[in-house]
Amino acid sequence: MTEADPPTMTPVPPAAPPSHRHLFLGMLQVALSAFGGGLSAWSQRIVVEQKRWMTNEQFLTGLTVARLFPGPNQINMAVYIGAEFRGLSGALVALAGMLLVPFTLLMGLGLLYFSVHELPAIDRVLAGVVAAAAGMALSMGFKILDQYWKDPMALLLALVVFLALSFTHLRLIPVVLISAPLAMAWYWPRHPQ
Amino acid sequence: MAPFALLAAAACHHARLSDLATLAQVIGEFLSLSLFSLGGGNTLLAEYHHLSVNVFCWLTDSQFADLYALAEAAPGPSSMIVGLLGLGAGWPDGPALALLSGYGAELAILLPSTLVMVLACLRWRQMEHSPWRIAFERGLGPITLGILFSVGLKIVRTADVTRAGALSVPGVIVSVVVCVLMLRTRISPLWFMAIAGGLGALGIINR
Repeated sequence: MTEADPPTMTPVPPAAPPSHRHLFLGMLQVALSAFGGGLSAWSQRIVVEQKRWMTNEQFLTGLTVARLFPGPNQINMAVYIGAEFRGLSGALVALAGMLLVPFTLLMGLGLLYFSVHELPAIDRVLAGVVAAAAGMALSMGFKILDQYWKDPMALLLALVVFLALSFTHLRLIPVVLISAPLAMAWYWPRHPQ
Repeated sequence: MAPFALLAAAACHHARLSDLATLAQVIGEFLSLSLFSLGGGNTLLAEYHHLSVNVFCWLTDSQFADLYALAEAAPGPSSMIVGLLGLGAGWPDGPALALLSGYGAELAILLPSTLVMVLACLRWRQMEHSPWRIAFERGLGPITLGILFSVGLKIVRTADVTRAGALSVPGVIVSVVVCVLMLRTRISPLWFMAIAGGLGALGIINR
């Protein structure tokens, strides 16, 4: 796919496209490095700087696509990297590399949880932990609020969606199916380039 | 709120995955939600709660809050909470089937969005400057914002309640403080969870 690109300004030439095995191992390395957070920074460091599979511009394009389409951002990024080099099978292999270790660990923790969560001591600790976790959930909206502050229509749309989901019995899918076309019509580019 | 919650709890029976019709319904719900995971996937949390607590009755409110905290604390993308919900769904059938259902749930939630993502990668050059793409990106942003606020409120209303269904005031205070700290500082959220866990052990926050 890359041969159609205009020549880029990167100082180091990209390495040969990775095989399926290398994709799996590379994403596994990202997943293992990112224990403790910073998944997307590690992904950039390993894929761009260390393995030189992609230029930084290609990587940033990938992030744009990963954020735009449905699915968790970091997981979509793995899919993008895999698909870029080896199509669908590459995407699945990269996804497996990214998820297998953290997910298996999480399943282990989950089994432990279901075995012990009824112990009073564990339940008391968890009652506190969930309050902190709820605070994290509460911060998600505020984190992206800034970028919409000067757009009254965006705030109105957000408010209507918030009210519909929080104070009526409407579910997410119908709310998105109704609000998305209206929002897209409003934000349709008026001056096509 | 409290009497309603009790009534719902009384009518709710754990939907067993060994019933094939239930299994097909569960897989269908997760496959279709996958395509609506806007803005990175956390937008689906309230739907996960609705399905696993209210519709299929696999978990109580407190268990859902626990699993959310577990997924946030563990390394890797927090969207892996779906695997934990699957684990809860299969738990009455034993650990082996619970694991199978956990892996299956994660697969179902990731498959459709992965396929769309692969198509998007292959067609990106045609799509990049299309008015559809621009309108989609600009229009979905504010909708994501509204969903995230409603998800935040839902998680607070799920986590910070007592067994009797009343709001836990110390819990809400801790949630609001953590929210402000998340926005104003770069301290790792694991510290907040550890400290709040200590407050729970001391009985300052309880449910």
